[in-house]
Amino acid sequence: MRIAIVGPVLCSLLFSFVSIPLPARAESLMDWGKHIAEAGNGDPGNTACMECHRLKGGGMPSIGSPRIAGQTRQYIAREIREVQKGKRYGPVMAGVVENLSEHDIDAVALYYSRARTPKARETEPPSSARVALGKKIAHRGIWKKNIPACVQCHGVNGSGVPPLFPYIAGQNRTYLMRQLIAYAFLERKDDPQGLMRGIARRLSAGERKAVAEYFSSLNPPQANGR
Amino acid sequence: MRQKNEAARRIFRILLLLAAFGPAFITARAMAAESNVLFSPPPEESIPQGGFGDLIRHGEKIFTRTAKYAGRYTGNRLSCESCHLDRGRKAYSAPLWGAYVLYPRYRKKNHKVNSLAERIQGCFRFSMNGSATPVDGRTIKSLIAYSFWMSRGAPVGVNLKGSRMVSLPKPEKAPDPLRGKKVYVARCALCHGLGGQGRVSRGEIAFPPVWGPGSYNKGAGFYKVAKLAGFIKMNMPLSKGTTLPDQMAWDVAAYIDSQPRPDKPAPK
Ligand code: HEC
Ligand code: HEC
Ligand code: HEC
Ligand code: HEC
Repeated sequence: MRIAIVGPVLCSLLFSFVSIPLPARAESLMDWGKHIAEAGNGDPGNTACMECHRLKGGGMPSIGSPRIAGQTRQYIAREIREVQKGKRYGPVMAGVVENLSEHDIDAVALYYSRARTPKARETEPPSSARVALGKKIAHRGIWKKNIPACVQCHGVNGSGVPPLFPYIAGQNRTYLMRQLIAYAFLERKDDPQGLMRGIARRLSAGERKAVAEYFSSLNPPQANGR
Repeated sequence: MRQKNEAARRIFRILLLLAAFGPAFITARAMAAESNVLFSPPPEESIPQGGFGDLIRHGEKIFTRTAKYAGRYTGNRLSCESCHLDRGRKAYSAPLWGAYVLYPRYRKKNHKVNSLAERIQGCFRFSMNGSATPVDGRTIKSLIAYSFWMSRGAPVGVNLKGSRMVSLPKPEKAPDPLRGKKVYVARCALCHGLGGQGRVSRGEIAFPPVWGPGSYNKGAGFYKVAKLAGFIKMNMPLSKGTTLPDQMAWDVAAYIDSQPRPDKPAPK
């Protein structure tokens, strides 16, 4: 009982020392976000995010459900809205997020942007030949086809460039593959200026596989703690 | 050596031809013949082993991570690669393979015949807002070695296709910073930021600043709207080069160069 009270008090005390104090509403926004992650927003038929993304956002490699822990708040919220609008490829997500309100989206985006969790285990070990090719493309690009190095837009080792360039390091392979294919075949259309569609289309099938394996072999940023 | 002679002979033949068709053809630009295919620089794996190879590799490191390997001479956190894309290999971003074979050359800017070393010093002082590296120091030597290696097999004295920055034809309407701002917000701010400040990933520059204290200074090549417009047209937005209409490239260049940036340093 005591711990239950002391914990949050200590936390908020610490918080007020190490960062800009949050408005009171943000704390409850966090709580509401966690609630949606755990149990849905209460509307009939709404599925809890944790069913597929896990409570801490590690995702599920076996079903290609993405890791979302620690993506930026702006990116998470944006992707949900784009799924709602139908621009973002989201065959699975579409039904789930249909009835989330703006407030729900804000809350759950805040919650998952702060979640931290280790990398989920991949279903199969990577092929070293593909990882080697993927690494080369990731760090050098294929300029003959006008493809810059992936890390130029996705940040150092694929760890993201806030706010709108997501991290792709440590993301699961099945998910990465599906997205690259979805961009290449123009099913995912939420990327600003069509940047990812152009790049994914210019990659060959083998190259897409190689980069997906390479980035999934890395550790995600902020896997534990801050 | 033989290659050089052959190239020289070829140029001579072309010049003769031009002369035959009348002096009107011989404009300043046509003095050196333009080749028609893009030169492809040697693959990185072909950098030789040993001392010379080490110098080349060091040059490449300076080129891609300038603040780390030549920080003494830089005044901002750009790298040479910020403007000379794909590690100095990409055509139409003043690639190193095009540069090596063009020097020494006459430059209007200082009314002198400049060596490649002096040209590189220029980029350190103006584009990198830093100071001139000693001409005989390891920094310049490595960069020249890297440039020399990359131009291996390129004909000398020829204006290679894709070398230097592009000169766009004069725009229909005079470049306008106000129109340019709209282009910037729609097409550039995603990466370079609304305030031109660029973006950082894990403490390293991912998207370089395009104005403000961390950008090139008023002595730099890009402080000329025409030069900047040519670069933008061929290279920006990243991975979408040549998609921006010419007028937009001019306008956005005018906008960027109308923003605050460090002053031109006093002459040496
Ligand atoms: C039934 C499984 C399932 C549920 C429940 C679910 N998701 Fe998803 N989510 C997915 C899958 C699969 C994708 C990949 C897109 C697709 O196939 O629809 C995805 C994609 C996403 C993305 C985009 C990630 C990226 O990197 O671009 C975000 C953000 C996201 N989900 C958030 C949520 C939130 C928040 C909830 C709870 C409100 C939720 N999801 C519920 C399966 C699910
Ligand atoms: C010119 C910039 C740019 C480059 C280069 C680039 N990307 Fe992207 N990428 C983006 C942007 C912007 C997004 C977010 C798009 C969106 O919101 O749909 C993105 C999204 C992605 C996603 C989806 C992430 C998610 O969580 O859903 C994957 C996967 C991806 N990129 C892989 C790659 C790979 C692999 C490369 C190298 C071959 C690469 N990218 C190079 C700009 C780039
Ligand atoms: C802010 C952009 C910028 C940066 C950073 C930059 N340069 Fe340049 N550089 C230019 C421009 C513009 C030119 C002129 C190209 C032209 O005249 O067409 C140029 C020209 C050159 C040339 C001569 C090329 C030719 O074809 O005449 C060399 C060599 C060169 N730079 C090397 C470097 C090196 C080495 C660095 C890093 C220390 C560097 N540059 C950093 C913009 C830049
Ligand atoms: C997808 C991200 C992206 C977009 C969009 C983008 N740039 Fe860039 N830009 C870059 C990157 C990355 C570099 C550095 C190149 C390198 O390091 O290889 C760069 C370099 C530059 C430079 C030279 C370096 C400097 O800082 O002075 C200028 C100027 C520039 N961009 C202008 C623009 C303009 C104008 C637009 C819009 C028309 C634009 N960019 C759109 C990513 C982008």
